[in-house]
Amino acid sequence: MMLPYFENLIQGIEERLATDKSGIVARKRLTLETARLGKRLYSGEERITWSGLVAPYDLLAAMGIVPCFVEFIGGMLASMGSIDPMLEQADQMGYATDCCTYHRAVTGAVHQGLLPEPDFLIATSAVCSGGMAVIEGLARHFDKDLFVIHVPHEKNERAVAYLADQFRALTDFVTEHTGEALDPDRLRMAVDNTNRARAAMIETYRWARQVPSPARSRDLINFGIVMALFLGTEGGAEVAEAYRDEFARKAGENIAGVPGEQLRLLWLQNRIQFKNPLVEMLEQEYQTAVVAEELNDIAWDPIDPEDPYPGFARRALSFSLVGSTAHRAQSIQRLAKDYQVDGAINPCHWGCRQGTGARGLMGEALRGAGVPTLNLEVDCVDPRNFAEGQLRTRLQAFVEMLLDHKAAAGGP
Amino acid sequence: MFYLGVDVGSLSCDAVLVDEQGQMVDWAVIPTGARNVESIAKVQRQILAKSGIPLQQVGATIATGYGRDRVEGRLASVTEITCHGRGIQAALAGTEVLVDIGGQDSKAMLLDGKGRVLDFAMNDKCAAGTGRFLEAMARTLEIELAQLGHLDKDAHGDLTLSSMCTVFAESEVVSLIAEGAAVPEIVRGLHRAIANRTRTLIKRVAPNLSGLAVAMSGGVARNPGVVRTLGQVLDCEISVPKEPDTIGALGAALIARDRSVKR
Amino acid sequence: MNQEITKLAGFTCAYTPLPLLAAAGFTPYRILPVGQAPDQAGSILHDNMCPHVKRVLDRALDDDLPGLDALVVINSCDAMRRLADAWPKARPAEPVMLLDLPYSADERAVNFLRQELLALAEKLAAGSGRLPSQEELHQSIATYNRLARLFDRLDARAAAGTLTGGRAGLQRWHQRSVTEPIDKILAELETFAADNDHPDKAAAGAPILLFGNVLAETEAFDLFEEAGARIVAEDLCTGSRQLTVLPENPAEDPYLILARGLLNRPPCARTIHAEPTGDLAEQVMRRAQETGARGVVAHVLKFCDPYLARLPAVHERLRKEGMPLLVLEGDCTMRSLGQQRTRIEAFVEMLQGEES
Repeated sequence: MMLPYFENLIQGIEERLATDKSGIVARKRLTLETARLGKRLYSGEERITWSGLVAPYDLLAAMGIVPCFVEFIGGMLASMGSIDPMLEQADQMGYATDCCTYHRAVTGAVHQGLLPEPDFLIATSAVCSGGMAVIEGLARHFDKDLFVIHVPHEKNERAVAYLADQFRALTDFVTEHTGEALDPDRLRMAVDNTNRARAAMIETYRWARQVPSPARSRDLINFGIVMALFLGTEGGAEVAEAYRDEFARKAGENIAGVPGEQLRLLWLQNRIQFKNPLVEMLEQEYQTAVVAEELNDIAWDPIDPEDPYPGFARRALSFSLVGSTAHRAQSIQRLAKDYQVDGAINPCHWGCRQGTGARGLMGEALRGAGVPTLNLEVDCVDPRNFAEGQLRTRLQAFVEMLLDHKAAAGGP
Repeated sequence: MFYLGVDVGSLSCDAVLVDEQGQMVDWAVIPTGARNVESIAKVQRQILAKSGIPLQQVGATIATGYGRDRVEGRLASVTEITCHGRGIQAALAGTEVLVDIGGQDSKAMLLDGKGRVLDFAMNDKCAAGTGRFLEAMARTLEIELAQLGHLDKDAHGDLTLSSMCTVFAESEVVSLIAEGAAVPEIVRGLHRAIANRTRTLIKRVAPNLSGLAVAMSGGVARNPGVVRTLGQVLDCEISVPKEPDTIGALGAALIARDRSVKR
Repeated sequence: MNQEITKLAGFTCAYTPLPLLAAAGFTPYRILPVGQAPDQAGSILHDNMCPHVKRVLDRALDDDLPGLDALVVINSCDAMRRLADAWPKARPAEPVMLLDLPYSADERAVNFLRQELLALAEKLAAGSGRLPSQEELHQSIATYNRLARLFDRLDARAAAGTLTGGRAGLQRWHQRSVTEPIDKILAELETFAADNDHPDKAAAGAPILLFGNVLAETEAFDLFEEAGARIVAEDLCTGSRQLTVLPENPAEDPYLILARGLLNRPPCARTIHAEPTGDLAEQVMRRAQETGARGVVAHVLKFCDPYLARLPAVHERLRKEGMPLLVLEGDCTMRSLGQQRTRIEAFVEMLQGEES
């Protein structure tokens, strides 16, 4: 089911790219790269691993491993519209329905034989406890070795050294499983690609901050977390550069992502992964653009190709969902200011103790920073619990309120 | 001597009387209402009057159901799980998987084919898919509860209800009506939603149903639409005993007899 | 240890290094998720959060707690991290000290935890003015070991159904052991342990293994016994896992002993089983067999992702051996457990092979 899906997807996008006349292709390039990753995962011809979200993907790329975090499959199944049977399978196995649907979907999928067998697995303690347990369960299911990475809570030099050390041990672990030592040249090349992608992403975001923003709301959906998978690869760097070039051109020509941009929003944590009309409604009815996304943020420095491990560690520690809520709140406040947003949307993904679990604290931190925030109670991957009418009304009310604020303040 | 089983459920109070041989002599069902102590006394009076058996001839009473501890003069309380297992064995010998959907909970049981419970799963924290749920939906659709089970016979659409929460499902049904969906199609959608949910419960105790004898009891088993649809989603035959809502009380009566005869 | 102990250090997780807290001049005070404080924590965090953490926070918000001189939070899971984040909203004046906790017990992890413990000792000393000497720490470890060994012995007697007061009585001791000064509780418990055995009402019950996370209420144990069960083995964070015997070696760095000891504690929800992978299911099965349990009851808090994610595998494993499993989802109220009384009774009836 999955391999033909990705093959068709690749073919379809390649055809559309070949005949494109709009010049707006960056998003398609990202989708193409994602489909190619999917194909590699399911081809049965490559070494693959299932991992936690903050694994060093460039290090793995340098070692010839196709890496993927498990939530990717949950999101993919949701966007394909075929997640129901997986969730039902998990339910039948006695997996409590209060838990995260990403995790339940993956657990259901693996038992239906829909997940390719990995060569080994990597659990990371960030971003969530549930995710770690799920990867442990996959390792048990496939009877494959598991490497566990403890991502420390505090961000200090002791934490960096400890995490870097674990990444070095991961290198040995991978070598044990592939029989191939890490080639220092390949690692340097991978790190160069990472730094290229990083620079292009940062520039893309710089353009996205312009008023009006060249970003359409859908342009940057999942961009940061999907790009993480491509770090270290040439393809990943090229996708980021396509974004940079497209945004630069649009900004230069003063083409707004949402024509007549009235409001700018920041999206926290998780996008809704299945087809839904909410974002389009915001764009068309209210000229409201989602210009920033929390998980797209890059808060790490370029990585030293000669000694990349501390850089890998700092990158993992900089992720907004690692560490305290105060750290997360600071990241979000910075984004709100940089992107000059009028408000933020916090989709409290049902079952997420990170996103949902800190709802009250995040709400307070954002209010304190003068950023009105709308909490949406939504399951980002299970369309069966999607109360469209209710969500639509809440979003509309929120946007109308923001427009009122703006009018009262003398804009736009 | 005769033996009495009383099942105090959320919607109905059921009583069953069996004789020394374990044969059912009579049964009675009344609504539980707001005061279950009164209903318990009433159903006990009713079955004795109906069968013409004096109280002195009742050797023992076993109480079951959520109000089991409120039954005066009982020999013991036994849970409805154990009672259903025992009761279905008498009503439909050889049953291996029993699903019971009552007024406010549903349960699935794996049995050894001789009435002993091997595993069970319950959904008792929410009314989704239970008798109360169907009652609410019938009210929303402005039809009689008894009609509900037959209305969908000729419906063939694939309309589905996304939510099984009574509150959400009610508003979903209201909007379906507003959109002009035909009532039989909505009813079919309701039954499918219940069947899918019930399948999940059943698969928790019996991941593989092939070759197993499956039966259904409880008030909702009187709804042929639910039974038919459940059979379709499980791809198996589902047997329904003659008086499906008295299986718990029957089991209780049989346990009363077993325990007395053993002594 | 002596009259200097006047300060209270709150804690919430069985991984807390109690000997260190005591040696640093604090009485460790476990904030048990009990009591009648109204639900308020959901507004600070979210209603769909670990009931343990919410209950603890509710108690703080309701002032159903003594004033604390420190709160030591272990970075054991998402929910505990959120507790550390939220505590200042309830008790702004009380310093929160977070101890990070690795997932493996290799030398790298042990050394990291040792550094964390040293840092915690310094933070504690800033509050108490007392940085414990190596000797004091060794002594404190020995004292807690005495308590842990006492509990091990009492646990065996409760399993046999001969402990006066049964499991509920033992649970009361578990509660007191983490909320009262250790010297006092040690003396009292030693007296109690010297008492003779009396066959308990549970002795004839169906033997079960009870495992899970938090179940602090003594009434809960009464409920199981009244339903006809005898808990032959109990594996809970608020029970037998609360205290663990650590190695004693005066020649070794006590921080290293603590670090290694904590990382080699009996596994719980937050333990990731890398070798062999996913071993929780096997461990539960082995424990049930070793203790002669005829059934297993998992008492798991709602929203406890690490446990809930593993229950399917545990169920599958036990099913294979024909070992019945009952899963109870709790929310740290007796109300919720009471609602599941029918399941508990039905499970016991099933184990007793009621009327075939």
